[in-house]
Amino acid sequence: MLSMTNISKVFQTDEIQTHALRDFSLQVNEGDFVSVTGPSGSGKTTFLNIAGLLETFTSGSFLLDDINVSGLNDKQRSRFRNEKIGFIFQSFNLIPDLNLFDNVDVPLRYLGLKGKERKERIEHHLDMVGLASRMKHLPSQLSGGQQQRVAIARALATHPRFLLADEPTGNLDTHMAQSVMSLLEDINTKGTTIIMVTHDNELAKRASRKIQIKDGRVSELDKVIDHDIDVSPQAIA
Amino acid sequence: MNEIALIFRALLRNKVGAILISLQIALTLTIMVNAVFMMQERHAQMQRPSGLDEANLFYLSNTIFATDYNQEVALRDDLELLRNTPGVVDAIQINAIPLSGGGWSMGLQTEPGENQSSAGVAVYMVDDHAIHTLGLELLSGENFAETDIQWRESGTTRWPAKTIVTQAMAKELYPDDWQSALGKTVYISQTQPIQIIGIVRALQAPWNGWNGVERSMLVPYQMETSNSRYMIRTEPGRRDELMPIIEKALAQSNKGRIIRGLRTMEETRERSYRGHNAVNKILTTVVFTLTLITGFGIVGLAMFSINRRTKQIGTRRALGASRSQIMGYFLIENLMITTLGVVIGSAGAIGLNIWLVNTFTLSPINPVLVVIGIACIYLVGLLAVLYPARKAANISPAIATRTA
Repeated sequence: MLSMTNISKVFQTDEIQTHALRDFSLQVNEGDFVSVTGPSGSGKTTFLNIAGLLETFTSGSFLLDDINVSGLNDKQRSRFRNEKIGFIFQSFNLIPDLNLFDNVDVPLRYLGLKGKERKERIEHHLDMVGLASRMKHLPSQLSGGQQQRVAIARALATHPRFLLADEPTGNLDTHMAQSVMSLLEDINTKGTTIIMVTHDNELAKRASRKIQIKDGRVSELDKVIDHDIDVSPQAIA
Repeated sequence: MNEIALIFRALLRNKVGAILISLQIALTLTIMVNAVFMMQERHAQMQRPSGLDEANLFYLSNTIFATDYNQEVALRDDLELLRNTPGVVDAIQINAIPLSGGGWSMGLQTEPGENQSSAGVAVYMVDDHAIHTLGLELLSGENFAETDIQWRESGTTRWPAKTIVTQAMAKELYPDDWQSALGKTVYISQTQPIQIIGIVRALQAPWNGWNGVERSMLVPYQMETSNSRYMIRTEPGRRDELMPIIEKALAQSNKGRIIRGLRTMEETRERSYRGHNAVNKILTTVVFTLTLITGFGIVGLAMFSINRRTKQIGTRRALGASRSQIMGYFLIENLMITTLGVVIGSAGAIGLNIWLVNTFTLSPINPVLVVIGIACIYLVGLLAVLYPARKAANISPAIATRTA
């Protein structure tokens, strides 16, 4: 599903070269929940950006859904992101001038869906994250945890194949973090592939696969077989 | 285009900057349209034909200081000298110069009497060479005969029996049929009859700002005056060459006067409309500057908006917006702001024009001018937002994952 082989990413300035990723190889299969940990500057975000087609890579091979993404132009990459990838950001990245309904609507409009279908999807996903009653509220009227749940609804509304989460709990307190994590686990159990970058080892352990990036390389690969997670709606709310 | 509703709602939550720019656009449109309208009015005034062969005409002043000066004889000698100078087509004595700013005016009326309405008219006292000298086109009737020319002593209130009027004056006197003016007796100084024996196409009055500038009359007079003017028409292309020759010849022919103030009709026209030209240049500068400031205002607002929303733009890109969609977002946003400004500005432009029409008796604005103004404003808005929009479109989607 996601196949990176010997991916390198070099940031070049006039004086220095920085190798953000070196011979980075990773396979992610459909339905995986992969957590990515690593120290600051290790290349986690670069990996996530490349995986999410937010950034290009310097060398190597990257197949996403069996498509060689290095051959895509900017417009095709945008379309690919819109149709197949959902993003969850550490800072939620909701658009402050739009209410929750309109925030979830943004990627759906890029998808070109008709108004009725967009409305159904928005209401369904806001309902799924427990915020249907607040769809006319602005992001600033919500708590951090609620904002992140809106961001999750936005990411899921396009029915993506992958969900890329960049420190999704980084700006949340422990209780909110657990709630969001439970939501992600629930989403994963319903079939969406998730790659989550996190600093929190406890949360990372809850993923079905755990990888660590160090100096731009996958330094550790660990598969978690069993874990007991409560994904009931009460735990999510 | 599929984001219009979202753009509008987002704009409503950031109204202040948008409204200020809209008001600036409105002000620009209001001023632009009315300034261009005023420039057009002035330009049209400047383009009116004077009726003269301007390119080949010049005039001079003949100021007499000698006490034993026989003006009647000297005038006859001067005109003979001028008319016989090689290269001169014809010459006359004239009491006033068209478009010069100074001259005589009287009232003509179709019925005699103090209580009858009269139409103002510029009076040119000339002889039977006037039509040929000035290059006028006689539409109907006839020229003065040599015998019609009278010697007008200073201070007299008597008027000759014949006149030639312009077509505009004939229309003013006989609006239903200007040609019927020919042969008619009209009245000057309320009661003195004067017969219209000819109608010329055009001869402008000395005052370009007068709304009756096209209304003039010729009367067959040669004048006794210590400061007369001679109008001289030369063969094409010989005017500048002949001006100093004639000045010298006249000065030498009679030592009892000073020849001065030589000026071409082209220069007179230029001086006459110097104010118009200056105002048009000022208005052009104002319109240009205001448009430029508005353009910069749009650029500034768009750049500020983009800098403030860099991460938001990156997020939109991450969510699937293509570069063209981001560019379209800012173009549409600007279109909305411009449209608000255009709506207010159109109302302002028409309102200001109504005020100008009522206050300064200008003609109403041509709606086409408002439409052209609107098109210009949209074009300026589009050009102004292009660079910021392109800058926004080039923001990397990777910005979305930056935490700062």
